[in-house]
Amino acid sequence: MADRGDVLQGTLDMLVLKALQLEPMHGWGITERIEQWSESVLQLGQGTLYPALYRLERQGLIRSEWKVTENNRRARYYALTREGRRHFSDELAQWQRMSRAVNLVLGATLQR
Amino acid sequence: MLRRRALERGFDEEMQFHLDQQTQKNVRAGMSPGEARREAMLRFGAVARAQEETLDEIRPALLDDSIRDIRYGARMLRRAPGFTAAALATLAIGIGATAAIFSVVRTVMLEPLPYREPGRVVGIWETTQDGMTRNVIAPANFVAWRERSKTLEQLGMVGPDGLSAIVNGEPTSLKGLAASYTIFTALGVQPALGRAYTYDEDLGGKGGVIVLSHEYWQARMGGRRDVLGMVLSTNDGPRTIIGVMPAGFTVAGRKADYLVPYAETLEELRAYRGRGSSSAFARLRDGVSFDQAATEMRGIFAQLVRDVPQRNARRAVLLLPIQEQMVGDLRPASLALMGAVALVLLVACVNVASLLLARSAAREREFGMRTAFGARRARLVRQLLTESLVLAVAGGLAALVVAMLCHRGLLALVGDRIPVPRLDQLKLDLPVAAVTMAVALLSGLLFGVVPAFVTTKHASETLRDSGRHGGGRRLHTVLRTLVVAEVALSLVLLAGAGLLLRSFITLQHVDPGFRAEGVLTAAVDLPSAGYDLSHAEDALHALVARIAALPGVASAAGASCQPVPYACIGTSFWRVDRAKPEEGRLPSGQVRPVTPGFFRTMGIKQIAGRDFSDADAASSAPVAIVSEEVVKRQFAGEDPLGRRMRVSFEHVSGRDDVEWTIVGVVGNVRSNLDGPVRETIFVPRTQRPGFGMTYFVRTTQDPSVLAKSVTDVVHRVEPHAPVEVRTLDTVVGNTIARPRALSILIAVFAIVGLALAAVGVYGVMAYSVRERTQEIGLRMALGASEQSVARLIVGQALRLVLLGVAIGLASAMIVTRSLGSLLFGVEPLDPWTFAATALMLLAIATLAAYVPARRGMRLAPIDALRVN
Repeated sequence: MADRGDVLQGTLDMLVLKALQLEPMHGWGITERIEQWSESVLQLGQGTLYPALYRLERQGLIRSEWKVTENNRRARYYALTREGRRHFSDELAQWQRMSRAVNLVLGATLQR
Repeated sequence: MLRRRALERGFDEEMQFHLDQQTQKNVRAGMSPGEARREAMLRFGAVARAQEETLDEIRPALLDDSIRDIRYGARMLRRAPGFTAAALATLAIGIGATAAIFSVVRTVMLEPLPYREPGRVVGIWETTQDGMTRNVIAPANFVAWRERSKTLEQLGMVGPDGLSAIVNGEPTSLKGLAASYTIFTALGVQPALGRAYTYDEDLGGKGGVIVLSHEYWQARMGGRRDVLGMVLSTNDGPRTIIGVMPAGFTVAGRKADYLVPYAETLEELRAYRGRGSSSAFARLRDGVSFDQAATEMRGIFAQLVRDVPQRNARRAVLLLPIQEQMVGDLRPASLALMGAVALVLLVACVNVASLLLARSAAREREFGMRTAFGARRARLVRQLLTESLVLAVAGGLAALVVAMLCHRGLLALVGDRIPVPRLDQLKLDLPVAAVTMAVALLSGLLFGVVPAFVTTKHASETLRDSGRHGGGRRLHTVLRTLVVAEVALSLVLLAGAGLLLRSFITLQHVDPGFRAEGVLTAAVDLPSAGYDLSHAEDALHALVARIAALPGVASAAGASCQPVPYACIGTSFWRVDRAKPEEGRLPSGQVRPVTPGFFRTMGIKQIAGRDFSDADAASSAPVAIVSEEVVKRQFAGEDPLGRRMRVSFEHVSGRDDVEWTIVGVVGNVRSNLDGPVRETIFVPRTQRPGFGMTYFVRTTQDPSVLAKSVTDVVHRVEPHAPVEVRTLDTVVGNTIARPRALSILIAVFAIVGLALAAVGVYGVMAYSVRERTQEIGLRMALGASEQSVARLIVGQALRLVLLGVAIGLASAMIVTRSLGSLLFGVEPLDPWTFAATALMLLAIATLAAYVPARRGMRLAPIDALRVN
């Protein structure tokens, strides 16, 4: 299941929240969006995605409701809560700080 | 549950939707519909798996979760049948043995006696001054207590009694109790049928009545209600049946076919010289504590010592709660047994814990995955603990079966040979089952908690290791500890068993002073009151010759008693040519009336003088043959032959002041294999006759073959005489039946513990070798020989085993000290036993480590290549 893009523990939540930032989406839509944005590097299996969705819902960061899709099928749509938005921006800031730091270290010019 | 189903349905729908979307996408990408579907399914992964993992995150009611955990646990156990069988068997044995011993202890020791307020019933005994040896009471003292005590009521005496009677036209001997009329009120138990006997019938001296036990009434009288009023003709005169006790009635665990009153007046009792064979009992008066009663009785006895020193010098009185009187001497053995099963249970738990740990290594990937999916550690721990508990419950159920088997074995082992009160009431009832399951659950926690925490600790790291042995280091430390613990525990068990076995073997090799093999014994009671004493003696003597004439008989003789386990007549004696020592300093010994030929038949050494002969008749001069011990203590350095002694017991003439001339000296005989050698005085049966005789028949073949012909000979002369036939080996064997049963039981537990420990060490080593396959392969590829690698692995195991042995030895030294009172002829710290035990464990543990090391080596090179 962890074929190509093994999602780093902890970043999965952030990716899901990011995907939901614009509009409520069903699970399938979320995997599609992440795959698209990551240029097909990150492919989430259901076994990874749905546990994360339920966990986030339990934590109150997202909520879900059943809606009808454009093709007239019932699907569960997930949306960010206000709590989720705040959490995401905190996480994002933290991530950016960390990744900048990591990049700095990795990109440091070595001198003797 | 409802909510849960709704959730699951919603989940299914959501998954279905996801699957459909993926299929459509695949079709758009140009796949055939079938292909598209297959690909989507593939991506989807195991639907069930995803579903389970996801549902894990929906937090339903705790109960619901637990049910799922239990189902999951049961499934995991079914999936690993080998592991499950090993763990279940281990648990069933550990818990089953515990349950069996617990139920025995409960039935025999803890269950209150079925009396009214049993805690207020006391037994009263006399003891030696140091309080060490419990002894029967003097009836005259009983009368004094009855008159003076203000703290006790319903005081009475109780002692063994025997009757021969004709029941349904057949001669039978009954074993019952003589008991004062107050026994019914003191215990608060009345006859279920008929009535109890009264003051008049007991202290009034009337007698002539008998109360039967329910069991005897059922077995021999067909349970007929019209037995009341029936008259039994017994060797003690006619007895009217006036009552039947309730089923299961015992006097402090002593079963009795019947109860009869002493039928002696207070004046007769007061005049009674010496000590009969009774103890006393009483009930604490209202508002009186046990200690108050004990203090008062000690005070009264101190007065009695001053008032009647010739009777009471160097004596003391002992009050015991009736339950304590019944089971007090069983306590050391029970404690030893409980200790042994506790150790077995601990070894079993450690064993299952290491099995679980070794197996959980194989499941690390599963846990790693679940952690990646966001399962929290607490959740995994709970899951693992639940699995352990499922295992424990299954083990507990299996344990009930094991306990049942243990009970059967125990009853077969103890049989009728050891008088353990109430053992026949042993049963697996609800409380026992409840305790068994409680023990099972507790052990489940015990063996489950370590593996649960150790395994989950590294779960999150395992995936990154691509699922190979993640927490290896840590796991090994824990496994090592478990091996050490197992070895130490089973060593303690083995050392205890070794000591008990050694003392039993020592006991078996104690020379009783006679040769028991090849001798048949037959105890005969003359039933009818039609004999007077001298006729009875003639008839009993005549039988000796008739038995000796039987084919296959080398020689035959008679005596008043079996040589073991009781002193036949315990009394005091002194030399006539010296001043009589003061009361309390008199030599004491046992007197045994025997017929001529007794020593030859029994294989007792004749050291000096002569045997009795037919010339030693009732009317001739009183003669005695003494044992070496008498010579050593009373006639040291002198020739005892021809010397005369006074002995405090009645000569056939009814006088107790006759002088007995010593005509012979024989080797010492023991009436107790584990007791000291006592001074023994043999007298001719003719000069101290009785209504019963025990015949000793030395045979030229298997003695039991002669049982029937001996009985026939007796019945030809006296058709109504009950005859009890046993081999002398059985008689002697029964006296050491208790240490025998105890050492066998504990040895069985020790062997079980050892086997479990060996399996445990094997399991851990096998796991460790599997883990190190690569390393071993590498070593061998680099030129290490098989032997050196084997030495490395076994050496490592041996270090653990040695540590376990060291800890075990230290613990055993503490534990075996408490065995003291159960040991005979062996010190609690016997170096041989300890050394042998340690060596045995070392050998077995080495073997348990060597086998997997060997196997590992054969596989290693291939595996090492494959992995790299």
